[in-house]
Amino acid sequence: MTRAKLQSKFARSPVLRYGFAATSCAIALGLALLAQRDDFLNMEAPLFLLAIALTVWYMGIGPAILAVVLSSLAFDFFFTEPRYSFYVKSSEIPHYAVFILFAVLLSWFSMVRQRVEQKLLQSRNELQMEVVKRTEQASLLNLTHDTIFVRDMSDIITYWNRGAEELFGWLVEDAIGRNSDQLLQTDFPIPIEEVRAELLRTGRWEGELRKTKADGSGVVVASRWSLRQDEQGRAVAILETNNDITERKRREQEIQSLNQELVKRSAELEAINKELEAFAYSVSHDLRAPLRHMAGYTELLQQKTSSVIDQKGTHFIAMILDSAKRMGNLIDDLLAFSRIGRAETQNSRVNMDQVVKEALTQVRQETEGRKIAWKIGALPDFYGDPSMLRLVLVNLISNAIKFTRTRAQAEIEIGCSEGNGDYLIVFVRDNGVGFDMKYVNKLFGVFQRLHQSEEFEGTGIGLATVQRIIHRHGGKVWAEGTVDGGATFYFSAPKPPGDLWRP
Amino acid sequence: METMNKLGRILMVEDDPKDVELTLTALEEYNLANEVVVARDGEQALDYLFCRGEYKMRSSENPAVMLLDLKLPKLDGLEVLKQVKSDGTLRMIPVVVLTSSKEERDMVASYKLGVNAYVVKPVNFHEFVNAIRELGVFWAIINEPPPGSIRK
Repeated sequence: MTRAKLQSKFARSPVLRYGFAATSCAIALGLALLAQRDDFLNMEAPLFLLAIALTVWYMGIGPAILAVVLSSLAFDFFFTEPRYSFYVKSSEIPHYAVFILFAVLLSWFSMVRQRVEQKLLQSRNELQMEVVKRTEQASLLNLTHDTIFVRDMSDIITYWNRGAEELFGWLVEDAIGRNSDQLLQTDFPIPIEEVRAELLRTGRWEGELRKTKADGSGVVVASRWSLRQDEQGRAVAILETNNDITERKRREQEIQSLNQELVKRSAELEAINKELEAFAYSVSHDLRAPLRHMAGYTELLQQKTSSVIDQKGTHFIAMILDSAKRMGNLIDDLLAFSRIGRAETQNSRVNMDQVVKEALTQVRQETEGRKIAWKIGALPDFYGDPSMLRLVLVNLISNAIKFTRTRAQAEIEIGCSEGNGDYLIVFVRDNGVGFDMKYVNKLFGVFQRLHQSEEFEGTGIGLATVQRIIHRHGGKVWAEGTVDGGATFYFSAPKPPGDLWRP
Repeated sequence: METMNKLGRILMVEDDPKDVELTLTALEEYNLANEVVVARDGEQALDYLFCRGEYKMRSSENPAVMLLDLKLPKLDGLEVLKQVKSDGTLRMIPVVVLTSSKEERDMVASYKLGVNAYVVKPVNFHEFVNAIRELGVFWAIINEPPPGSIRK
């Protein structure tokens, strides 16, 4: 049993501790008496001192004092002349005093030793605790994903966590003792002197750095530096934390280049639009002028020669004038069509019933002298440009009126059906001459016509205009028809945001 | 012949000789062509209005109306309009833009500059003649021109 265990076991019981002192003294006395009886002389002093030593060693100072007292009394009573009395003969006094001195010195030395030992033990424990604590902290730094390393003021690495190993590819044993800027080939965006100056002034520095990994690849890090100072305020080390932002940087650059591309594209588009506008302007001016001259001079010719020209000549002149007029209409329609593509749309909630009413007013002239049975259903609200949507309906209704001209009783129906998602569908149905589905994809092209102009006049712009407007609304146009069996034109356009279908 | 006496001078700014001829023909039909001054580009029009260059010696009265084409060599019609309307005296001359263009921005720009009328030349000659006649009759006969304009 070790002394510490023994001490702790006896520590709680004074009876046991002092009993130990008394018992050891008694044993020492017994052994000394036995030795004396067997003529082993002068054994008493070593035996008592041994008892005291044991007591002071194992039981501490209190029991030691008791042992000293008991031993002194026993020594006095049994082993100094006269025997069996506490009286000490003057010649025995030095002998007895030396014994007591030894006993006291022994106790005192033991006590001092013990105290020193305890202190040593305590500092050893403290040291151990400190070591455990430090180890824990170090392993905590290892747990983080962040890259942390410490370097002294001459940039020699003194600590290197696992994050640093993972990011830079250098193991802790490779990194410790190396110059950090050389190891990582750090690329500073600003002069290093400025970085150091700020670090020394404020104790911190933050910035983006480009470093190189063990495999030679580059890495961009968000770097944070903190200065460590000793008690005297002298800078002793720099703690550097790095976060890998290479991917973020790459994405930022990607976004930037995409943005640049976008800016370039919009500039190009704008330029094209400008060009188109200039083209349309020039068409508007320059193409119409010669046409006007042709028509003008032809009419003057007609006036001047009306008396001398025969019927055929009159017909030719009429044809020239007719063509000029037609050309003028074509140019006007084409310009209107191109204007739709360039015009700004002004979107709002559109009352479609109202729009249909306005469209019908606009085409009233075309219905003169006609028998038309109108069937107009209630329409929900749409979301779009009201004047453009009106133009769509004017074109579709006008077509329906035109292509039912051969019917004794024309029937035209306007209605609505639920589209998918945020779109509503409007249809315009007629019982007119219809068309062959074979040519359905030609219907919406510019200048595309499915009928001869003697039958049905027109420039072939109307449905192209419809399609362009609906496409600008994000919708679709399509048609169904049979030859001589009528036609139905559909278009889809957005409903107002947040609206539910109401039948 | 009282109306003839009251006929004002018309300044026509038009670069296209055919347009000039057709317009003059149209005005002739109604006896309005007598006092038409033709300027063939914007610079010439301004020279006339400001009495400079070849028009240094012209009589000081201003025309009763100016018919102004927009697409002109050298200075375009809008620039002419701008200079006329920013001159203290000339701004009183009624200006009618007579152009091939139906472009909205031209129309807006012209009205912003203070044009008095904007007419798009019709392709149909009949309509063109009618338009010119009505313009001539209104501005040169019916309308009371500002003081200092020519009246014959």
